[in-house]
Amino acid sequence: MRETKQTLIYILKRLALMVVTFLAIFVICFILIRLLPLTPNLTPGDVDTFYLRMVAQGRMRVDPSSETGYSMVPVLEQLWNFIVNLFKPGSQWKFGLSYAVDKWMEPQNILFSKMPPTILINVYSMIIAIPVGIGLGIYMALKKNKWQDQVLSVLIMLVISVPSFVYAFVFQYLFGYVWKVLPPMRASGEFGWFSPQMTLSLILPVMSMCVGSIAGFARYTRAELTEVLTSDFMLLARTKGLTRAQATVRHALRNSMVPIFPMILGEIISVLSGSLVIENIFSVSGVGALYLESITKRDYDVFQFVAMFYVAIGLVGTLVVDVSYGIVDPRIRMGGKKA
Amino acid sequence: MSENTKTLQNSGETLDKSLFERIDRENIHDQAFETKPVSYLKDCFRRFRKNKGSVVAGIIILLIILYAIIVPIASPRAHVSPTAYPNGYLDNYFKYVLPYNPMFAGTGFWDGTKIESLNERSYAIQTLTDANRPYIVETLEKTHDRVMAGDIVISDTVVYNCRVDTYAVGVKRIDLSPSAYQNLVDYEEENGIVGTADSIIKPSVDYETYLTDYADHLRGNGVIDTLVTTIINEMRTYYENNPGIYYALSAYPDNDETQQPSDKSNMFSPIYDENGNVKDLYIRDDAGDLVYGTYGQGRYTLRVDYFDYSTYFNGFEPYLFFGANAEGRDIFLRLAEGARFSLILGVCISLINFIIGLIWGAVSGYYGGTADLVMERVTDIIGNVPSIVVLTICSVSFTSNGAMMGKLGSAGVLIVSILLAFVYSGWIGTASTTRMQFYRYKGQEYVLASRTLGAKDRRLIFRHILPNAAGTLVTSSVLLVPGVIFSETSLSYLGLINFTTSGLCSIGSLLNEGQTAGLANYPHMLLFPCIVISLLMICFNLFGNGLRDAFNTTLKGAED
Repeated sequence: MRETKQTLIYILKRLALMVVTFLAIFVICFILIRLLPLTPNLTPGDVDTFYLRMVAQGRMRVDPSSETGYSMVPVLEQLWNFIVNLFKPGSQWKFGLSYAVDKWMEPQNILFSKMPPTILINVYSMIIAIPVGIGLGIYMALKKNKWQDQVLSVLIMLVISVPSFVYAFVFQYLFGYVWKVLPPMRASGEFGWFSPQMTLSLILPVMSMCVGSIAGFARYTRAELTEVLTSDFMLLARTKGLTRAQATVRHALRNSMVPIFPMILGEIISVLSGSLVIENIFSVSGVGALYLESITKRDYDVFQFVAMFYVAIGLVGTLVVDVSYGIVDPRIRMGGKKA
Repeated sequence: MSENTKTLQNSGETLDKSLFERIDRENIHDQAFETKPVSYLKDCFRRFRKNKGSVVAGIIILLIILYAIIVPIASPRAHVSPTAYPNGYLDNYFKYVLPYNPMFAGTGFWDGTKIESLNERSYAIQTLTDANRPYIVETLEKTHDRVMAGDIVISDTVVYNCRVDTYAVGVKRIDLSPSAYQNLVDYEEENGIVGTADSIIKPSVDYETYLTDYADHLRGNGVIDTLVTTIINEMRTYYENNPGIYYALSAYPDNDETQQPSDKSNMFSPIYDENGNVKDLYIRDDAGDLVYGTYGQGRYTLRVDYFDYSTYFNGFEPYLFFGANAEGRDIFLRLAEGARFSLILGVCISLINFIIGLIWGAVSGYYGGTADLVMERVTDIIGNVPSIVVLTICSVSFTSNGAMMGKLGSAGVLIVSILLAFVYSGWIGTASTTRMQFYRYKGQEYVLASRTLGAKDRRLIFRHILPNAAGTLVTSSVLLVPGVIFSETSLSYLGLINFTTSGLCSIGSLLNEGQTAGLANYPHMLLFPCIVISLLMICFNLFGNGLRDAFNTTLKGAED
């Protein structure tokens, strides 16, 4: 009972810390981004709408002496207005407005609309990468220092070192352009997310995402499992009459999963954040592509929202991974002071 | 022996000095070391050498560094005259040419050729060209490209699948000053190629006659006069503004009536006389001789075989080992410059990050307590701000800052923003390693001893703890370099680091160019940068791991 209470306190502490960190990052980013010169590329008809909505958000004020008739509000005042706006019920454009990516849409709506393709390719690649990667790792650990292990180890080293865009290009060129067996780009949005065309066109991005994760999981599993396989309790398990397979599955595998499980959890959380590189190469218009587009088009409100989204995912991911260590392995006492 | 002990026990008495005499002064029965002592570094080096993979990786890194240093110095393309090439060597007529390696000439692999499908008109124009190099190296097959609707043939076009030479850019129109013209003529006379089939200067073409003929043709087909004038003017503008268009021996309007007249502005096809021979379009003077160039407004206008002219003008053949990009720049040279930029950037940023991380980690780890807690929170906040955000903010606010742009220039602003973005959070890794090492060593006895002797904090940090942690820290810093190169390459590949106006390039910006050009059509633009970046990443990782294992003395003897 005392243990659970301690764990709970630890988690709460970490949560509070996370919120504080997030707020600090938010304030820094907010100030820096709002200080950037605002140069929206607007058509004459949009100018009035733009200024009116900026005034409504408390970012600009009517100023007859300035050239445009409006002037910027000081940054700290903007921050205050932002917070007030956030908690005022019924207020519009809480997180600002897009004026380049998807005109007059709110950033959060744009982000949610971009999520399906990102989640789809991430989930597909996870479904493939985790079992294959762990399976390979187990195989290598069991064949330790034999030729199979050595060949696979070299392969994995190569795959981990080579940047993901390199094999994305190789896959796209060979499968998409030379052999023409798979569509080199993602199918257009008119097809449903689970239609055969869409699934077919997602194979290449999923493959490119997978390769790296498979190598990562395999290397990690091999390292953990080889360590566990040489420990004393394995010898005990064998002496008490278990076969090698039984001992490996019941004792070694379970123990080696302790550091791998948090890794999987981390992966699950990062499903929401897209890969900039892969989404760019295969024109998957997901979260990563939105991030990139908002930067290149200088759409700061969208950029800020997506950036904070990435920050939040990073923070939550670290927290969950840290906490899960203690849940998976009771030997690790969370928040325990050094004796 | 027993007597000695007895004497010592009687502590009150004075000891007889003779008891402490050495018995045998001459023969010390210790053997001198026959082997040489092995110093720590020597031992590490020996252990590193044993790891063959790391040694090979080190050699490859060295080769890439040599390539990045030597090529920009030695390549003739890096030293072209700035008046002819104000932005460095680039030749738009040779854009997208494929890699050419003299060793593979004529094999169809790495020799600047590719397979292309040509329609009948282009095939005829290419075979009838008066350029010195044939565009079509080999005709592989003649097929029909049929569009069918059920059993009915809607359209049937003849298609030639050919192996074509991308360096055969054909004949171009150029303007030369009288002195440059004289030099070219002198060169031709020296080599005895004036007026021969191999000459650089080709007979001038009478395109005005072509346009008049074409106007008649259009009127003959019932096109109204005003439209004819518009089309002819458009075509004249097109010809005059495009000195680089392929100009065949003979260029006459196509008789294909299915096409709109406006689509024909850049279409040329050969015309034959009654005997089926090709009629040429050359200008002839009153005596019936060919005219090589026209003179007007102090300039000579010539038609030249561009490949040979380029060789004459530059002093080297336009063959490119790694091909050319969309501007017609040499990828071999650009890649060397890009690798040089990436490597220098990687090493500099790693060094800066290493130093900052070392100091931060040392202070945080040594003092511990509240200082440590506060510093850890600060790193937490800094480390969680995505570097893309910092990079974007830096580059946008610097480029819109007029004073800064004026002082540093476009390239300077780019470098400063890259530096800031990478240094901003790059040191955190080193800082946490250093902090851990300090926690490990600060409680040890020798530190305590030194402290009791009155050593100051600074002395303890820099003279006692840091040297002990140095091995781990230095080896971990080797792996910082590929990390920086990798993120720099990814960000410039994505276009988040924008090189376009700066005149600089990195491996990542070459990848970006390659992707913009299109992977399907120009894979060579991506292939070579990809190979170099992959080799760099693999080798740096192998080399770094080898170094780490070699410096890790706890592994000594374990792997033997």
